[in-house]
Amino acid sequence: MSNTSFPIPMLHSTIRIMAPFLLAAIGGLFTELAGMLNIALEGLMLIGAFFSVVFAAATGSLFLGILLGIGASVAAAYVFGFISLNLRANIFITGLATNLFAEGLVMVLAFQIFGNKGVIRFQNLPKLPVLSVPAIQRIPVLGDVFVGHNVLVYVSWVMVVIAAIIIYKTAFGLRVRGTGSNPDAIEATGLSPRRYRMYAILISGFTCGLAGAILSLQMGAFVPGITAGRGWIALVAIYLGNKTPHGILIACIVFGFAESFSNYAQGAINVPADFILAFPYIITVVAMIAYSIVRHYRLKGSER
Amino acid sequence: MDRKRIANLLSSTTGLALTVGISFLIVVLLILVLSDEPGRAIYYFFIGPFTKAYYFGNLLNQAIALMFTGLGIAVAFKSSTFNLGGEGQAYSGAIVATVILLALPNMNGFIGGAAAIIAAVGMGAFLAGLSGFFRMRWGTDQLISSFLVSAAVILIINYLVTGPLDDPVNSMLTTARIGRQYQFLRIFKPSKLDISIFFAVAAAIGTYFFMQRTHWGYEMRMCGINREFSRYAGINVGKYLLVPMAISGGFHGLAGAVTIMGTHYRCLKGVTMGIGWNGIAVALIAKNNPIAVVPAALFFAYLEAGAKAAMLHSDVTFELAKIAQAVIFFLVTAQALYGLFRSRKKVGS
Amino acid sequence: MAYLQMQGITKLYPTSGVLANDGVDLAVDENEIHAVIGENGAGKSTLMKLLYGLEHPDGGEITFRGETVVIKDPFAANRLGIGMVHQHFKLVSDFTVAENVVLGSEPRKRGLFIDRQTAVKDVGVVIEEHGFSVDPKRRIKDLTVGQMQQVEIVKMLYRNAELLILDEPTSVLTEQEIERLFVTLRNLLERGKTIILITHKLEEVMQMSHRVTVMRGGKVVAVRNTSDVDKRELSRLMVGKDILLEVNREQKTFGDPILELRDITIRCRGQGRPLLDTINLQVRSGELVGIAGVGGNGLAEIEDVIGGLRHASSGQIFLHGEDVTALGPEDLREVGLAYVPADRLHRGASLPSSVRENCIVTKHHDFLKAGVLQRRNTREFTEELIDHFSIDAAEGMPVGNLSGGNIQKMILARELAADTDFILFSEPTWGLDIASSQFVYERMLELRARGAGVLLISSNLDEILGLADTILVMYRGRVVGRLENTEAVTKEIIGEYMLGLRDDSEPVGAAAPSEVHRG
Repeated sequence: MSNTSFPIPMLHSTIRIMAPFLLAAIGGLFTELAGMLNIALEGLMLIGAFFSVVFAAATGSLFLGILLGIGASVAAAYVFGFISLNLRANIFITGLATNLFAEGLVMVLAFQIFGNKGVIRFQNLPKLPVLSVPAIQRIPVLGDVFVGHNVLVYVSWVMVVIAAIIIYKTAFGLRVRGTGSNPDAIEATGLSPRRYRMYAILISGFTCGLAGAILSLQMGAFVPGITAGRGWIALVAIYLGNKTPHGILIACIVFGFAESFSNYAQGAINVPADFILAFPYIITVVAMIAYSIVRHYRLKGSER
Repeated sequence: MDRKRIANLLSSTTGLALTVGISFLIVVLLILVLSDEPGRAIYYFFIGPFTKAYYFGNLLNQAIALMFTGLGIAVAFKSSTFNLGGEGQAYSGAIVATVILLALPNMNGFIGGAAAIIAAVGMGAFLAGLSGFFRMRWGTDQLISSFLVSAAVILIINYLVTGPLDDPVNSMLTTARIGRQYQFLRIFKPSKLDISIFFAVAAAIGTYFFMQRTHWGYEMRMCGINREFSRYAGINVGKYLLVPMAISGGFHGLAGAVTIMGTHYRCLKGVTMGIGWNGIAVALIAKNNPIAVVPAALFFAYLEAGAKAAMLHSDVTFELAKIAQAVIFFLVTAQALYGLFRSRKKVGS
Repeated sequence: MAYLQMQGITKLYPTSGVLANDGVDLAVDENEIHAVIGENGAGKSTLMKLLYGLEHPDGGEITFRGETVVIKDPFAANRLGIGMVHQHFKLVSDFTVAENVVLGSEPRKRGLFIDRQTAVKDVGVVIEEHGFSVDPKRRIKDLTVGQMQQVEIVKMLYRNAELLILDEPTSVLTEQEIERLFVTLRNLLERGKTIILITHKLEEVMQMSHRVTVMRGGKVVAVRNTSDVDKRELSRLMVGKDILLEVNREQKTFGDPILELRDITIRCRGQGRPLLDTINLQVRSGELVGIAGVGGNGLAEIEDVIGGLRHASSGQIFLHGEDVTALGPEDLREVGLAYVPADRLHRGASLPSSVRENCIVTKHHDFLKAGVLQRRNTREFTEELIDHFSIDAAEGMPVGNLSGGNIQKMILARELAADTDFILFSEPTWGLDIASSQFVYERMLELRARGAGVLLISSNLDEILGLADTILVMYRGRVVGRLENTEAVTKEIIGEYMLGLRDDSEPVGAAAPSEVHRG
């Protein structure tokens, strides 16, 4: 590979890498807008990753695999939501529980079914179809960056659009947003905030399941710790994206690029991968503090 | 005498029993579904830890770090401050202690050890204290900021352990081994149990005394229960957004140092993994009572020891413990479960 | 049968033990404005919560348009045609006016999508029909308080409410906004609506209502046609006549000033008028100063400012001659402040904590030996207080288990133990029975006799008249009356100041006294 073509594959892999971030963050956006801190994204993704690849291998059908993977993740989200909302448990603790539970469950099942807690490879696993549009492919840079990804990568972009429509154009979206901003207002109109919170949690289960499916199906294998903190980074992307779908898209491009860059830069530049992975956390905490400083002084100013 | 109190106690005990019962039930169900020899697996899961001194000693050893992190969380929660960065604080304590001890290969064991522990405590306190400071100063969300700081710190320590501090002789991702003079005395061989369990129990008693009897503890508790009241009465409420966090972080740092000096003698990659999260569950089960943290930590360690025994003697895997712990985590704050007893009484009357 | 009939309504709050409604009857005719008036805590808000399904009665029956109804939630109330405009608005501030109004019953396109055009149009029609002045496309956070209230009313009208409950609708409005609201209400009346107006402001009652139900202590004490009564009679009905106290009016001499407020002002963003407007007051040694006023007129802010819990936007506070304007509660207590707060359940006490932990909170530093609280000393101290103030409690009991009167006694005991020369009482007998109130009064008088400066903030005229040497009356954030408590001062006179009918303060700018509006 010559040096001049270096940025193109990096951008290409940015698009591939960001897809799971994007999906998880879009689901998390719904729970965030409904007024809940959803730290279960990581666990839900893990469940999606495991079950989709297992079912895809078992049924020989990608579609069924993804469907059942999402089903498992939504079921886990329902348990998470039921305990948080109906049994009135602290949602932050139950979110931690979901992550721990997912980790435990996946390991136990992996061991019992495959006798292996390491990397599980699947022989005749169908490959994710790659979309190629020759017309676009011929466009110099754009074509090289955006074409040739698997279908789910494009699905993730479509999901952003669908999410934006649901959030801003439908009655459902209005109510979810209202639930987060002022649950009293929702309750005063006779609606149940709890119900809309549950829907939001189920949506996050759906998108996280799909995000997990991308991870494992792309790799054609299941690896413990396959999610590698992506759920947390997705949460961070929601904040950095200012809780809007387009903001999240931009944040995910940044994170995807950072990871892609670190993959390519290893050896070339001497920045350890762990540092690059730590970067989004540091950026976010700095952004959070800056935000609270501004808010602090604005409030104070009005009192005087 | 005080009927309301007894009713409260009863209902919270019922809730806890229900929580633990459900988690056991799920473990049993999973074993029944997955195991070819379920009887054996169930036996070793529940009884295993008590069948051999080695298992039992390791159970106690496992509980040490959880006692420290559980105490750290209990202090924070009791004061209504939120420390979600325990994982990173414990890990930082582990690495700081390791680095200091490696830098002093020939120091007197007591002095070098004390320096390492103090530095580890200081590091944990600093990391958690940052989030306390941000909240005190600007009202930044403590929960998220403490997590983010911790997540970043974990990655940086991973880099140190696998990069500059990696022991080239050892094939594992780990630092070199600390000097023999710094290793805590093992008191129940062949298990890994060391003397630091006494420190942990003493710390629990000390924390209880601190919270209940000293004026700092009193002020922290008052701020935790009712900040408005505390402010009205002239307690410096701002200070107590920071101090409990620092104490909490200090405990986590200590847990990290003790893990190195008592059990592993080197800082492996992810050596403290899980003790931060589990510390939260331990504190919640203990209802943030420092004395109750001791049995709660033992119980959590028991789940792990049981799963280990079941793994060695049957065909199930260690991660069953994680599932049991996760179920407890799920239900331990479920108010509806704990209110069951109370709300039924209300309907009846 | 009346349009709306509430009969024998009873509501007990089990946690606080307050019987908020005690066999209340309310009859409202179709197409009238019916005022329900009473002091704070008279039970009028509770009654309306029951009618709107926010709370459920323990006894009694509601009949609406000839049918007996059970209203289980606000949604059920809406379906019956009952709408409520809350004192604290329930709006989503990031949403537009139209979005807020249609929330929960949105017009749809193809089943899923909000039909924004129709929403804006329909809401616009409601707005126009009733002569409101808000743009359906604006966001709530950009509106004035008066406009937000209009949105709440529009919300109810959009849901076809026939009976509208307005809970203290004028408490947050400016004078001009109040005028506008009245125009609106008359409009609604013309369109056949029925209105229940909850208030404690007699001005509004006289100006707007056809009939008035007066509540006191959870009971209905009178129902009158508005045309048959005057404000003085209503005021008497509202506050009652049972005077607890021997009025003591001997001429006294006072010592040096202990507490002084100079030009204290609190401005707040989004609020038309200042919460406190250049307050000047002085409490001298041996003097008991009473500040009277109806809730929402600045009493709570005075309490916060003197207690150090809120800082003034401008002005100065002196305590013992020291400038304490910038000090917080911690330092103020050092200088010499004792303070019995109005909110005794949250601010004055920590309910889950024991009596002992509550008693030592302000002076636990005195019980330290090497940083450790000496248990024997704290217990003895607490038991002494319990004994001395005959509090019916054990030192280890959670305060939440005590009765209201005993909680107040405990707070009083703690604050008096500080032995300061100045003490602030805010609504010290609110919700207490006669014996406990008497106990509080006696302690206050003892303090004065001892030469302390006492400041009493109260909406209870009896205690102001019975105890105070000097009376200040607050109205809309200003001191409108400053009286020496002599024979000439009567409850009626203070009541008129409280309700804004009299104003001795120099009118500031255009904000003329409100009595000019009265026809």
